[in-house]
Amino acid sequence: MQTPSNEELMLSVRDGDLDAFEQIVLRHQAEAWRVAYRFTGDAAEAEDLAQETFLRILHAAPRYKPTATFRTYLFRILNRLCIDHVRRKRPTVADSLPQPADDAPSAIQRVSDRERDAAIQAALDLLPPGQRMAMVLRYFEGLSGAEIAKAMDTSAKAVEGLLARARERLESLLAWLIEDS
Amino acid sequence: MRCEDVTTRLDSYASGELQPTLAAKVAAHLDSCESCRQSLGRLKQLAAVLGQASAPPVPDGFAARLMAKARSRRVAVTSAGWNPLRWWRLVPAPMHAAAAAVLVIGLAVGLLMGWKTSPASQAPPAQAAVQADPLDAYNLDYLGDAPSGSLADSYLALVSGRNGEGQ
Repeated sequence: MQTPSNEELMLSVRDGDLDAFEQIVLRHQAEAWRVAYRFTGDAAEAEDLAQETFLRILHAAPRYKPTATFRTYLFRILNRLCIDHVRRKRPTVADSLPQPADDAPSAIQRVSDRERDAAIQAALDLLPPGQRMAMVLRYFEGLSGAEIAKAMDTSAKAVEGLLARARERLESLLAWLIEDS
Repeated sequence: MRCEDVTTRLDSYASGELQPTLAAKVAAHLDSCESCRQSLGRLKQLAAVLGQASAPPVPDGFAARLMAKARSRRVAVTSAGWNPLRWWRLVPAPMHAAAAAVLVIGLAVGLLMGWKTSPASQAPPAQAAVQADPLDAYNLDYLGDAPSGSLADSYLALVSGRNGEGQ
């Protein structure tokens, strides 16, 4: 039996089929979680945002029309929730990252995977929300500029600008990590 | 092209998303600009570092917790009030014709039963008897001695169908 597409599943969800909704969740929970985690840096907040995204999709199902890919639709809702979430939180004041405590030459001691992941997440946390989301969708989820523009409800040109500024900032924050790699 | 225009487009250029004409212009600029070539190099290094990062896996039970919320919200919405459109959407599409037929038949039976029991379908003498003697029909005998032109007499006239002219 042919596997139903996301759009076919959503049409079933529109008709009240919760089993179809569960299939949607199982297919896309990982990427929704990853984006929410990369954006917030917090597992509990990420779960709340990712789950609320799916619940919003369920609530809006009676009005669903497949005008875009489901993935774009998913990230659009998640983006809105993430941006609203960070606006309610107190902004961070740090302007730089803490360097690893050990100054051993990179030839002798490599940065651990855990340190690397923590440094990358800390750097992402310092970006403004729009730049952060654009970077996450581009460099961690592989969306094209056009897809990011749809997900963020903005223009492709605006996305280029967000990515350019975010890149410049991250290159500065993670220079020691880039040199070490 | 200016360096500012090129660096803004480096992400799209590196991923091959630029239109051919624009990509060619960027490439030509890179051939002659060391600074922008270095920017492209840093972009690729950053992409490589970010690509090594790993995120924690989806928490155990994520889908189960979500489905529990979804079902509880669905119950709350359903019990908040009857929405015929929402009910209609819950009926599987192939059964819409059968559901519609049941509705039509039910309405027809209801209308038929209502017509049979309506006053218009009753024998006229019973209705005429009520109109002829409102004092008996509506237990208004205590108004039988109401003087002509009084409020009680006007009321009796209204009930019996007279024009309030008195007996």
